[in-house]
Amino acid sequence: MNIRNSEPADLMNMQHCNMLCLPENYLMKYYFYHGLSWPQLSYVAEDSKGNIVGYVLAKMEEDPDEATHGHITSLAVKRTHRRLGLARKLMDHASRAMVECFKAKYVSLHVRVSNRAALRLYADTLKFEQSEVEAKYYADGEDAFAMKRDLTKLLSELPTPRKLYIPFREKNNSVTKPTEVDNEDTAPTGVIFDEKDFADKAIAQSGVDVFAEDNLAKTLESTTLS
Amino acid sequence: MPTSQPLPPKEKNLFNRILKCYEQKQYRNGLKFAKQILSNPKFSEHGETLAMKGLTLNCTGKKEEAYELVKRGLKNDLKSHVCWHVYGLLQRSDKKYDEAIKCYRNALRWDKDNLHILRDLSMLQVHMRDLEGYRETRYKLLQLKPGQRASWIGYAISNHLLKDYTVAFKVLEEFGKTQQSQDAPYELGELLLYQNNVLREAENYQEALNHLEENKSKIVDKQFWLETKADLLLSLGKETEAEKIITDLLYRNPENHRYYQQLEAVLKPENEEERLQVYESVARVFPKADSPQLLPLTFTTGEKFKQLVDKLMRHQLKRGVPPLYTSLKPLYKDPAKVKVIEGLMEGYIENLEKSSKFAESDTTDEPPTTLLWARFYMAQHFDALKQHEKALNIIEQSLEHTPTLIELHAMKAKILKHLGDTAGAMASMDEAQSLDTADRFINCKCASYMIRNGMISEAEETASKFTRENVSVEEYLREMQCMWYEIECATSYAKSGQYGNALKKCHEVDRHFTEIIEDQFDFHQYCMRKMTLRAYVKMLKLEDSLRSHSFYFQAARIAIQVYLHLHDEPYKAGGGVTNDQDATMSSAELKKLRNKQRRQERKKAAAEEKRKQEQEKSGKRSRQQQQKNQKNEDEADAKKDVEFDPEKLASVADPLEQATKFLVPLQLHCSKRFDTHLFAFQIAERRGKLLVMLRSLLRCDELADAGDRAELHVCKVRFAKKVRDANGVASAVSDVISQFMPKLFGDVEIENFNLKFLEESKKSLLHLFAGCRSMHHLDNGRKEQATDMLLRYDDGPDNIPTLQTCEAILDSLKQKEFGELAEATMLQIREKFRAWHPRACVFAAAPEPVEEEPVLNGIDEHSNETQESGDSAVKTSKPHRKSEVSDQKNNNNNHSAETSALIENHCSHGD
Repeated sequence: MNIRNSEPADLMNMQHCNMLCLPENYLMKYYFYHGLSWPQLSYVAEDSKGNIVGYVLAKMEEDPDEATHGHITSLAVKRTHRRLGLARKLMDHASRAMVECFKAKYVSLHVRVSNRAALRLYADTLKFEQSEVEAKYYADGEDAFAMKRDLTKLLSELPTPRKLYIPFREKNNSVTKPTEVDNEDTAPTGVIFDEKDFADKAIAQSGVDVFAEDNLAKTLESTTLS
Repeated sequence: MPTSQPLPPKEKNLFNRILKCYEQKQYRNGLKFAKQILSNPKFSEHGETLAMKGLTLNCTGKKEEAYELVKRGLKNDLKSHVCWHVYGLLQRSDKKYDEAIKCYRNALRWDKDNLHILRDLSMLQVHMRDLEGYRETRYKLLQLKPGQRASWIGYAISNHLLKDYTVAFKVLEEFGKTQQSQDAPYELGELLLYQNNVLREAENYQEALNHLEENKSKIVDKQFWLETKADLLLSLGKETEAEKIITDLLYRNPENHRYYQQLEAVLKPENEEERLQVYESVARVFPKADSPQLLPLTFTTGEKFKQLVDKLMRHQLKRGVPPLYTSLKPLYKDPAKVKVIEGLMEGYIENLEKSSKFAESDTTDEPPTTLLWARFYMAQHFDALKQHEKALNIIEQSLEHTPTLIELHAMKAKILKHLGDTAGAMASMDEAQSLDTADRFINCKCASYMIRNGMISEAEETASKFTRENVSVEEYLREMQCMWYEIECATSYAKSGQYGNALKKCHEVDRHFTEIIEDQFDFHQYCMRKMTLRAYVKMLKLEDSLRSHSFYFQAARIAIQVYLHLHDEPYKAGGGVTNDQDATMSSAELKKLRNKQRRQERKKAAAEEKRKQEQEKSGKRSRQQQQKNQKNEDEADAKKDVEFDPEKLASVADPLEQATKFLVPLQLHCSKRFDTHLFAFQIAERRGKLLVMLRSLLRCDELADAGDRAELHVCKVRFAKKVRDANGVASAVSDVISQFMPKLFGDVEIENFNLKFLEESKKSLLHLFAGCRSMHHLDNGRKEQATDMLLRYDDGPDNIPTLQTCEAILDSLKQKEFGELAEATMLQIREKFRAWHPRACVFAAAPEPVEEEPVLNGIDEHSNETQESGDSAVKTSKPHRKSEVSDQKNNNNNHSAETSALIENHCSHGD
């Protein structure tokens, strides 16, 4: 699935995905409110035909009494697209944007106390901590767990980009253009990662775990076999 | 200044309080103060007070009274800019934007530099896309208030929208100089990126690149900075630099497909092997990312493909990833790849069954779930290849082992749906739903399968597990702008001849689009404040073509088809269907339909009754709430939508006019679709507009694919006949037509043209039927011959018509395409279709086996009840309507902006 920042044109399809997946629904205006207030924070996952199969709708909380933080308004992945690790990827992108664009210290969300699957996802996979119980948060009287994930170390834990190792180019370079590397060293600066990384042909191993897939408990073994 | 009726201080003070109350939505109090002024005989006709009273009443839902008062106020004080402004606001709230603009302009005649009126005017202008007017007004505002940032931003946006990039850039540049990064880093960053956007739209790529570099440290949206830089470098051909940026982006997000395309564009791999290396280079860094493993499957071939897909499939089957098929679906365009996949998968299954291994040579045993997921894949595989029975077999086999896996039941439902067994499909989906009643996705699927099986009231019952109590499902979903549900219902209603209800749903969808377009109004000002101008401009463009969304297309299609039908056979009040419609149904069908309708009505009445009781029960508690939220309640009353009345919709006098209303947006936004022009043709044909028919026909001719050719042929023949039969056509018209006739028909007579088509259509029932229809249209004495041809259709194993084709033909015959047909003939045709699609409910011997036998597969009303009572926890789960809160907030903001205008302004006058 293709994962990318959402655009205004995605909002209607996000609403559709929400209506299919979740009991908490919002009017289109609320989606526009998100998309036009914090365009960086919402992400979508789409299939090869461009259908939205998962999304995260996020915002910043602008309460001056609290530390700057983001909030996940809604996160959904279609049942038919579970176990691809989409929820985690979507959340990671939203969180990073909260830090980069708005200097968020943490991200918060609410989850129904009865929603065990979601609780497991947030607690085990996404490293959210349960902060408090909000009584009768939902319209039907159900309580919510308020959960938080600290984001202060997020940026420092990200992998440092390194030049990609591409065999066919290495061959070309060494045989036909031995000076290419030097050219690259003198290329204009302004690139976010360090130039010296380009001299390093070693394959970067960092960051591997950053995009590791979710490790949702494999419940299938126990529940589906008769 | 202008008002001809100045008030003394006491009344003046009261008047200001009216304004304040209006701003704070204390409408009752506002009216009290108005009364105090007006009850004084000296001021009983005070124009501005009357106008404000009207405006306040408007907010409590009394529109007519409001208009009367505002107009009276204005008549009493024509020179008051307040009265004109109020009249403008009233019209605006009534969505009469053009009128409102006129009022604002009048108000400005009496107070030409009134900032608030100018601002309101500019918002309406951009809303109505009067861009020239918008620029003019924004220019005036900039001159009057150069110290305000909105003045600069607004003027820049107006120039940008008019594609005057140079001015837009300069204005932003001047404004940017006054902005400090430390004050609001996000806003400044957004401003700079917006400015960069202007440069890129003007195609000044080098300048844009420089601008991006210069402001790098001030732009906080790093991702967009990188994406923009990558795009610019690629446009400028600076590939070496671009690679670094794209690498950086891929490190951020190895699942963004666009980055891979860009990386390929930079590295220029020359063959499959090199192309693969590009993806492997990312996969090496992110071994668990899906995209670098999946994307190469689309371009690799032969052994390499086999090796890659083998690795991927084994890995995902082992891990138990149900969407494996979904991931590989794009490969199914290539039959060679399908074959490879099938071969591998069959091998796995064989070995897994024998020895729990993927291959005999493997050393490790697989868990039993691996086989389960392999079979699940195979069912989807065969379903995709239209070998539905085989797919069904595999699923049933799997269900024997694993009867509680929801995915299997859902898949079984899907296969049965493809086989036309709507009742069985529904039963399977209901089974799936009952296994996890807390999952809305499966619940929605179940509801949609119920609707497709013609059981809307059951669908409502199912869907109600996730909607608010004491509001009907229909109402809740409409309120939440849930369009898939409305479209499914419209389709089902149209199919069963309940045209009024079908139209109601179509109009509801249409209204959602209107609402969404209206919604943008509040954002014109909001985004200037938030500085999210890139998103804002994108939103404006989106709103301009909002009705290009497929939800609109689907609703418009149904509405147009229904209106065409209502034109041909006008609705007769009373029943849900016309008598003519009834006549085409067998008496048994009719009885069932009637029963069903009665049952639905009973259910609806019962639900309504229950709802009322519950409301009364909770009355006391909510009354407190009510008082607390009095002002919100007033608002809500005013906003409450008028319900569409199915009876009225079905009995409109001008169905073609109504159809055209749905067609216009399609012509505007979906002009590349065959159906758009087909509908245009069908409407024009009924209106006898030969040239419009011709134009639509020519467009259809351009756009038709193989399947469309059938319908195109029918249109051609109908057109030719219409031309031949037409009398007194103006010579100019017939000249044009005769110019194009050879292009459409060659030199042949229509009869021969059709014969030739029939000759060529022996292997496709869809096309053959088009030929038959045309034959019958040319000579309606040839009904027997037409049905004969249908019945004699040669059904070699390769020529079996699809379920959709057969269904469409049956529908069309029911709608008397060939006039009245003998029951025996209909039965014969039905039998023929049934032989091809034995499971399809529509062709079943006892017509429409819905409702009477839902016990089949274990769902009847009774079991539904037991399910529900077991799931009370789920049933009570209701959504939390955060949206209201925030909307309210939003509204307040806008509202206050608009009224503080009035107040501030007025106060300054008083002084």
